[in-house]
Amino acid sequence: MEYTLTRIDTDGPRYPQEQREPVRDPMEDQMHRSIFLGKLEDMLKGTVNWGRKNSIWPYNFGLSCCYVEMATAFTPTHDLARFGSEVIRASPRQADVIVIAGTCFQKMAPVVQRLYEQMLEPKWVISMGSCANSGGMYDIYSVVQGVDKFLPVDVYIPGCPPRPEAFLQGLMLLQDAIGKERRPLSWVIGDQGVYKANMPSQRDKHREERMAVTKLRTPDSV
Amino acid sequence: MTADGNAPHADKGTPHEIVRELFSRFGESPFVLQNTVDRVPTLWVDQSRLGEVLRYLKNTISRPFKMLYDLTAVDERLRKNRFGLPAADFTVVYQLLSIERNADIRLKVALTGDYPSLPSIVGIYQNANWYEREVWDLFGITFNGHPNLQRIMLPRTWQGHPLRKEYPARATEFDPFALTVAKQDMEQEALRFNPEEWGMKRGTAEEDFMFLNLGPNHPSAHGAFRLVLQLDGEEIVDCVPDIGYHHRGAEKMGERQSWHTFIPYTDRIDYLGGVMNNLPYILAVEKLAGIEVPDRVKTIRIMLCEFFRITSHLLYYGTYCQDVGAMSPVFFMFVDRQKAYDVIEAITGFRMHPAWFRIGGVAHDLPQGWDRLVRDFVEYLPKRLDEYQKAALENSILKMRSRGVAKYNTADALEWGVTGPGLRATGSDFDLRKARPYSGYENFDFEVPTATGGDVYDRCVVRVEEMRQSIRIIKQCLENMPAGPYKADHPLTCPPPKERTLQDIETLITHFLGVSWGPVMPAGESSQMIEATKGINSYHLISDGSTMSYRTHIRTPSFAHLQQIPSVIKGAMIPDLIAYIASIDFVMADVDR
Repeated sequence: MEYTLTRIDTDGPRYPQEQREPVRDPMEDQMHRSIFLGKLEDMLKGTVNWGRKNSIWPYNFGLSCCYVEMATAFTPTHDLARFGSEVIRASPRQADVIVIAGTCFQKMAPVVQRLYEQMLEPKWVISMGSCANSGGMYDIYSVVQGVDKFLPVDVYIPGCPPRPEAFLQGLMLLQDAIGKERRPLSWVIGDQGVYKANMPSQRDKHREERMAVTKLRTPDSV
Repeated sequence: MTADGNAPHADKGTPHEIVRELFSRFGESPFVLQNTVDRVPTLWVDQSRLGEVLRYLKNTISRPFKMLYDLTAVDERLRKNRFGLPAADFTVVYQLLSIERNADIRLKVALTGDYPSLPSIVGIYQNANWYEREVWDLFGITFNGHPNLQRIMLPRTWQGHPLRKEYPARATEFDPFALTVAKQDMEQEALRFNPEEWGMKRGTAEEDFMFLNLGPNHPSAHGAFRLVLQLDGEEIVDCVPDIGYHHRGAEKMGERQSWHTFIPYTDRIDYLGGVMNNLPYILAVEKLAGIEVPDRVKTIRIMLCEFFRITSHLLYYGTYCQDVGAMSPVFFMFVDRQKAYDVIEAITGFRMHPAWFRIGGVAHDLPQGWDRLVRDFVEYLPKRLDEYQKAALENSILKMRSRGVAKYNTADALEWGVTGPGLRATGSDFDLRKARPYSGYENFDFEVPTATGGDVYDRCVVRVEEMRQSIRIIKQCLENMPAGPYKADHPLTCPPPKERTLQDIETLITHFLGVSWGPVMPAGESSQMIEATKGINSYHLISDGSTMSYRTHIRTPSFAHLQQIPSVIKGAMIPDLIAYIASIDFVMADVDR
């Protein structure tokens, strides 16, 4: 599997302050070197990732319409607690994921950046809705055309706004990605970069199945 | 002198009562009377006489105009169809509202020059403060004598004034946005609060004040909203609301999109109001076009608007309870919202932003079986509301927490431009659905709930009662849904009825132009107010005889409600502020547009 290695670059002139390069799965090399240690580390990383991906605590952060749908996902009909993510944190310091739910404005961007900086590693970013993904229908002077202009986004959820179910799917995709991550087990053990698996595009994955649909439900009856 | 600011079909009728009163007081010479499609008496007045006229209207006249309803500007430099209006590069527009008369008056001041100035009216109407800042921010018009003429929508570091005609609309017309480390530091520095700038002291002889930043992201701020509190212990000495973190440039967007393609943008103004936002825009455009819609359209529109009033109020109810300390109600109310969305989705095909109303009709006829879904919902919700009444509203802890907190009376409300449930909780029964029925509300039997306390609790009580009235209205829609077409038979209906399309080359061309360039609206000025979920929402449209609006102004209730905060909350505690914010019911998109 293809991975992307991300290293923090505190001297970078613009956000996100990081350097990225495509790499192979680092575990493959190590396993070749020593079967016993490789297995052990693989198991250890698997356990840590399992813990991380099933308790992603979101930061209580919303910008606009999308946040209403995100909040809907927390309530009983959709019940985000099933995925271990119901613990909304009011402080960025306690949160694992920031969901950019809504339009990111040029006036708000420095504030979002400050909040993101306050989150502790490991941390992830979900971009929810067209505005956060690309500016969406707001190609207008005050709107940042996609939050990935300054934040490293892990999952993009399309929609304006996305349904709560779409948010749940986005969260599950993030869980899958976290399960394959290779992060240093400690700040003194091993390589300090973050290796993220290059996850397949959902559009490519579902394209055939979607194109095969020929009959759509009529809007004339409920 | 009278100028015909409109296309020839505008109603010229007899001058309004208020115009006659002004003429008899000041004579006819200081004014130019403009006819508009919306029949709001519109007078142009010289800036030297403005203060005098406003003072007369607010203080001296019988049944006075106590509320400055709106204040905005128009860049007139590229406008072609002016029909003899006074020469102007820019126009500043003041709209006043009198509840006693149930009438409006619009005053316009013509300005010349690229960066003109005129006297501030903050000394007459306090709530002109933010409106004037907004006009300065977006147009570059200076108000002399304004206490603190700062940018309000855009960051302080911003260059230019976006609603001027020479300013580009699209972000993609500028260099791509990048957040450099230097820019981040500069913007953070610009956000630093400086008390002296707002006439605040950093302390007294005995003690220092603490300045607390609440927001721009705070769990109780309901969006990107910042309040800077000046605290003496836990007591709020003063506060400064800071908005503009949600300015999506909707008004500039109106000058870029065709009349038809602007509809989805209206949904996202008060994003809890869904299609209710389409209504004032569509009604104002229909006035311009001279379209009279069939009864079925009116009734469908009312039914869906009331559905969205319910979903919006349910969210309010839940978050209100949560903000005053009750954790569980919000979970129940969101389940009810799901039920309402199921009905909305079955009818319109979308949950939050259906953009379902069309110029001259609605997008689609009601689907078969809609009545069953609606009936199920109207039978389901009242029982739930009864439960909440017992569990939440009559809960003694909730009552004690919110009674008597953040009180204001009707006079204060009018002074700050407060409308909607926030006004009706003070005893006034001003509800546009009754006072100035639109879209067929005159045919419905419902009451206007009011309360007398004017506090946090009463604002919630009024909204809960409004939900019951909305159910009553929906029931009447259900039982008396008129038959007939769902689109008006009019050349400007967009998209045109199917039988007017694809028949021969003429209908083909008209249809093609209608959907590609959009319909051309006759030149003129129009507006429509509606009783939206959060207060009075209105659109003021100026057409220059084109496929796009020349100027779209959106008056939103939440903007006025937030400006009122400091006057109400001074002297209270921080938790009272949180309860107060919860009781206002605002969304930032409705504030900053």
